[in-house]
Amino acid sequence: MTGLRAGWAAVLLAVAAFPLAGGWSGSVAWPLFAGAVVVAFGVVVLARRFRLTTGMTLVGSGAVGLLGGYFVARGAIAGGPLEVLRDSVPRLLTSARPAPPTPDLLMPGVLMVFLVALVVAVSVAGERRSLIGPPVGAVVLYTAGALVTAGRADARGLVAVAVVVLAAFGWVVVDRAESTRRVSLGPPGAVLAVLAAVALLAGVLPSRDAFEPRELVRPPVTDLAVSNPLPRLASWAAMADTELLRMRGPELPVRLVVLADYTGAAWQASSLYGPIGAVAPPDLPAGRRAREADVELVVGALDGNWLPTVGRPVSTSLGDVLVDPDSGSLMLPRGVGPGLSYDVRGVVDRPNDDDLAGAKVPTGDAIRRYLDLPGLPATLADYARQAVANTRTPYEQAVALEQVVRLDRHPDAEAPVGSSYARIEQFLFGPAGDAGAGKGTAEQFATAFAVLARAVGLPTRVVVGFQPVPEGPDGYRVIRGVDATAWPEVYFADWGWVPFDPVSGTDSGPSAASKREVLNRLASTTAQPTVPAKDGPPLVVPSQQAQPDAAQAKPRSRHWLLLFPALPLSALLVLACLRAVRRARLRRAGALGAWAWVLDVLLLAGRQPARHLTAPDIAALVPDPEPALRLAALADRAAFAPDTTGPDDSWRLARQVRAGIKRVVPWYRRLFWAVDPRPLRR
Amino acid sequence: MTGAAIGEHEIAAFQALHKRVGDAVETALRGKREVVDLVLVAMFAGGHVLLEDVPGTGKTTLARAVAGALGGLSRRVQFTPDLLPSDVTGTSVYDPKSGQVGFRPGPVFANVVLADEINRAAAKTQSALLEVMEERTVTVDGVAHAVPDPFLVVATQNPIDLDGTYRLPEAQLDRFMLRTSIGYPELVHELDVLRPGSGAGRIGTVPTVTNPHQVAECARRLATLHVADPILRYITELGTATRADDRLRLGASTRGLRALVRCVQVYAASHGRHFAVPSDVQRLCGPVLAHRLVLTREAQLAGATTTEVLAEITARVEVPRPTPQ
Repeated sequence: MTGLRAGWAAVLLAVAAFPLAGGWSGSVAWPLFAGAVVVAFGVVVLARRFRLTTGMTLVGSGAVGLLGGYFVARGAIAGGPLEVLRDSVPRLLTSARPAPPTPDLLMPGVLMVFLVALVVAVSVAGERRSLIGPPVGAVVLYTAGALVTAGRADARGLVAVAVVVLAAFGWVVVDRAESTRRVSLGPPGAVLAVLAAVALLAGVLPSRDAFEPRELVRPPVTDLAVSNPLPRLASWAAMADTELLRMRGPELPVRLVVLADYTGAAWQASSLYGPIGAVAPPDLPAGRRAREADVELVVGALDGNWLPTVGRPVSTSLGDVLVDPDSGSLMLPRGVGPGLSYDVRGVVDRPNDDDLAGAKVPTGDAIRRYLDLPGLPATLADYARQAVANTRTPYEQAVALEQVVRLDRHPDAEAPVGSSYARIEQFLFGPAGDAGAGKGTAEQFATAFAVLARAVGLPTRVVVGFQPVPEGPDGYRVIRGVDATAWPEVYFADWGWVPFDPVSGTDSGPSAASKREVLNRLASTTAQPTVPAKDGPPLVVPSQQAQPDAAQAKPRSRHWLLLFPALPLSALLVLACLRAVRRARLRRAGALGAWAWVLDVLLLAGRQPARHLTAPDIAALVPDPEPALRLAALADRAAFAPDTTGPDDSWRLARQVRAGIKRVVPWYRRLFWAVDPRPLRR
Repeated sequence: MTGAAIGEHEIAAFQALHKRVGDAVETALRGKREVVDLVLVAMFAGGHVLLEDVPGTGKTTLARAVAGALGGLSRRVQFTPDLLPSDVTGTSVYDPKSGQVGFRPGPVFANVVLADEINRAAAKTQSALLEVMEERTVTVDGVAHAVPDPFLVVATQNPIDLDGTYRLPEAQLDRFMLRTSIGYPELVHELDVLRPGSGAGRIGTVPTVTNPHQVAECARRLATLHVADPILRYITELGTATRADDRLRLGASTRGLRALVRCVQVYAASHGRHFAVPSDVQRLCGPVLAHRLVLTREAQLAGATTTEVLAEITARVEVPRPTPQ
């Protein structure tokens, strides 16, 4: 094993393992992985020094590695060695994402890196000194990293590019280390084509339906008795100046819990929770225009099990956090308390006004939960229909409802609590002077909007949380009791959950200008909805649900146009890989492979020799026959002599022959040599 | 003699010997090294050569120069229509002194026998050569007499002047390991031959560089040279193709293919290799096989020759290439 080749392979593997290290929180994983690579190469070097066979090296070292893995994880996983090793990966896949860097959870990653590096080291150290082994090992590690982290660890593909560049460096430079010949442009050109294809594919191919290994294992789901925090809005309002928590990060509303299930009497939070990062994706896909936000939160007087977050949380610095996969509500079974400090990364849907203007809402079973209104009184249904009369789009309906709910109604922290139909009817239609008539907390405003929106077919839910607050001099945003609120969110196809603010109308969601534009148009055509008679018509299916699917079709994305260049480029990528594999196989075949490679080059140059020509005859035809004749003699000897020959300089001669042929072939005809499929058919 | 395959060091020694003999012969026959090498291939392969050429091109000179370089006994037999078989093989003669009938060897008892204008003798006389060429023995009055080892018959015939000739039968042609022609020399060599005082064409100037025993031993060792299976298959495919060709009434016989293998072994060794390669087969298949093929009447009328037909067949059969499996 030459030092250069081994060093190149080790560096390639260590770089490729970088995304895999993103599967664990903290910075301990990658040094461990790099160490595993070094240990594996060291083991192979020692094994060769002691003249152990390849089989003995692989079996012995692999067994020692597996045994070490068992001893590391046996404290955390019950059972014998087989059970411990078998359950280590499912356990990792059902842990939080990123996983806490505990020994038992780190073990499968370290073991995998060690075993891959061991195989690669053996391939590099062998007689044939594979140049394909290290890139293949790197691809395995990189793919594992992409699977473990759902592609987040290398979202921009920088590590992928680094791996490709390093692999190309190895093929071009390490392969030619023994030769003084200058580097030809063929392999780098192929690498550039591959890079372009990779970059384009990475940018084009949809990742929304990407393979998720965590779907293969059933995460542990906890059924928790949870309380609805809506009634607490009044108590938080009463402790207006009390610091509930503080946040460092962008100005965003802090979410405490999402309420999606409405019984007609009250809202209910989900009671099934799993480890964050391990549970299934949400029932409704996230919006196409989203951004990630990282915040630091410090709990003050807030108590209970709900853990504040921003957006849809994807990771947190706490290891024992549970999440409701559909709503993104975080729960801490041990409870939150003063002084609890943690980081959260969340995804926030941020569609712009133009996106929403023509947005549709989905249909089907997926949204049934968000339209459910058991026993909806006809008064509310009729009121809702009147409110959205003359609206043309779901967005206009939501804006109209937001306006109708806010109309002549006032926030009042002292108003009676409750989310039942009766409380909402009282809130909306109660005669002036009655308790709760026209007055309510954010609970009534949000619930009234949600009920009316569901009545007209808009998928809606209610979020309990805290409104955005300005940043203080110490960089923290101090959230107090007075900031506690609730708001409704409407789901628009392709754009995700969009918040509305029936309390003030402008504090969240779409811009005020956009809403004003809608309201101005509606004002000229829409009369104020009247309180319907108690014996109004029965509830009918809301207009949005009655629309055919064609009307709900998603706006056409033009990304598919990029597939036109991507598909040929991906084909070129595959061809380049197949050609590289063929060349590696030929390299292992010594003089025979070198001669076959020369025949490949002749084929590419349009000089395919006749079937009856012998190797020396063919050699005499090439532009620079001297090295070709020597190579033909070596190949003939390798093929037809009774004894095997030792090392020879056949590949050096082959490269000389190739250079001679290239000199007489115009450059434009050589452009696609690296991806030409014809040699693959030989 | 060992049964092991010939090794590289022996090959180097043979290559040197082959070069010495060739150089010695070339002192008499200038500019015809390829022909000389072919004759030497036949000699070391234990075969016989048919030189088909017009008069005056050096056929006799070549045969005698080979015999001179070999250091063995050489005899020349001028075949004529009235030549009897016993004139070639020898006969039993009564010795009045001893009162016994003894065998008097004919000119065939030599290391190199030049059968000049062999097609001028009657078929009966030509067939007298059949036994000795194949069996290396002459049977007279029921007694077999072995000819010296090595035994090389270099026969010549004139393809132009066919008056008063008897065409060699296929069976006899098949006894010749290879057929070749010398042709006229190139200008530079012809000038050399014409220059007064030149040694060209003078057999006396040919140095003896080996001996019959050494040649015979080399021939035995060269028979063990490695010929890989793909090459043997290639030779078989060539033979099969000649038998399947519509223009040929008679394709290559198994004896012919065996002769090709033997020649390939010697040719490879003469080039310093202890193994045969496909190029050897292609170089030798014409001289070794062409004279054994018989054209159909239609092909003859069309003006085809067996050499052309064989060249086309060789260009049709796929050659084994040195590529990985």
